Amino acid sequence: MDFAGAYTPDNIKFLLEGFWVTIQVAFVSIILSFIIGGLVGIIRYAKVPVLSQILAMIVETVRNLPLLLIIFFTYFALPEVRIKLEIIPAAIVALTIFESAMLSEVIRSGLKSVDKGQMEAARSSGLSYVQALIHIILPQALRRMVPPIVSQFISLLKDTSLAVVISLPELTHHGQIIYGQSQKFLIPILILVALMYFVVNYSLSIVAQRLELKRT
Amino acid sequence: MIVFDQVNKYYGDFHVLKNINLTINKGEVVVVIGPSGSGKSTLLRCINRLETISEGSLSVNGLNVADKKTDINKLRRNIGMVFQHFHLYPHKTVLENIMLAPKKVLGQTDAEAKKIAQKYLEKVGIADKANSFPSQLSGGQQQRVAIARGLAMGPEIMLFDEPTSALDPEMIGEVLDVMKALAHEGMTMVVVTHEMGFAREVADRIVFMDEGKVLEEAIPAEFYANPREERARLFLSRILNH
Ligand SMILES: Nc1ncnc2c1ncn2[C@@H]1O[C@H](COP(=O)(O)OP(=O)(O)O)[C@@H](O)[C@H]1O
Ligand SMILES: [Mg+2]
Repeated sequence: MDFAGAYTPDNIKFLLEGFWVTIQVAFVSIILSFIIGGLVGIIRYAKVPVLSQILAMIVETVRNLPLLLIIFFTYFALPEVRIKLEIIPAAIVALTIFESAMLSEVIRSGLKSVDKGQMEAARSSGLSYVQALIHIILPQALRRMVPPIVSQFISLLKDTSLAVVISLPELTHHGQIIYGQSQKFLIPILILVALMYFVVNYSLSIVAQRLELKRT
Repeated sequence: MIVFDQVNKYYGDFHVLKNINLTINKGEVVVVIGPSGSGKSTLLRCINRLETISEGSLSVNGLNVADKKTDINKLRRNIGMVFQHFHLYPHKTVLENIMLAPKKVLGQTDAEAKKIAQKYLEKVGIADKANSFPSQLSGGQQQRVAIARGLAMGPEIMLFDEPTSALDPEMIGEVLDVMKALAHEGMTMVVVTHEMGFAREVADRIVFMDEGKVLEEAIPAEFYANPREERARLFLSRILNH
């Protein structure tokens, strides 16, 4: 084990560059998944005819596939049908597909957890279904959904490392490159990589807990 | 004003409303009583189409409630509803609870809506709670907010579904007092309640329901002193000895 040799400024800089890619890819995927998953969750909650059945099928399919397979699919299979994605977009698309399906379920069950009487009170006062959704149901559901959404985001950040299989230049991948140079770097580098994931994810869950406490 | 004509309603195979014929006139206060499960809530909820009828016709203010072409949101503006469990919006203050529909549905400005909300809060006697959240209020206060919320839309009809059943006994009076005042002002009211004092004092008519049917309609004094139907007699003796 060679901590001094592993933790050179260059190596640490290289790891941080990888971590920056991890965070960027995760961040873009999070935003996209939140939008898409939110829409899918709302459409399924509202039981929009036909569309909600189709979406239910897609969501169930995606949720039952390994993320790794979806990453292979967007990077290796899509070019076969003439959709060629670069590594980073391919990773983002794969993560977004997977995470949207997961989040849509979180959001749908959050919406369903709001007491039925809330919708009835809103509708009986003359609000349209969409108005009731926006002003009454969604705000209450969102508060309840903060913890599961944050934990979904944490798992997304960790899942980004799966994109190592398509050589996404993220944290895990950069770690591999460094300890590839010498077996003596393996443990020090893995420790540092683990620490980086941990610090960011743990901070996220602390923030989630704070938000939860504030609510109650 | 509200006319049920041969109305039937089914939940799947279950026949919940059976051949309902009932007319409620403007300014009338009608109290609906009957055993649990007899269809009282369903009857009330058909009036503002929270439930749809299966057969027959139902009109409110000349509008056909069952007709798909009827603008349901327009109909509902004119009908306030108060629920057993209040259903206040927990994420909004008392004032915001009351202002929401007038702003979003009637297009009132913030200032207009606020003025009206305050007026009704005064009317139900809790002007000092305007900026509280529902969770900070007692049950009786919450139900009075719910009534103010209904009134703020300026409806011609108010529906009450067991408004005092979820309240501690000492809070029932304050809610009934608000409802009585409303009745004296000439509001058209349909009230599902077993509060006999309220019925005797302000109801124009008692409607007794059992197993989905309207079994008896009578003025309160007559109904309580001498119910015609055996089932009504049985029901009354049960709630009196309760
Ligand atoms: N959504 C529903 N689906 C099926 N059955 C229902 C539904 N709502 C009410 N019921 C049934 O209809 C009957 C009448 O209910 P309700 O109108 O709530 O009675 P009440 O208010 O007089 O207690 C009850 O037997 C109840 O179980
Ligand atoms: Mg009921």
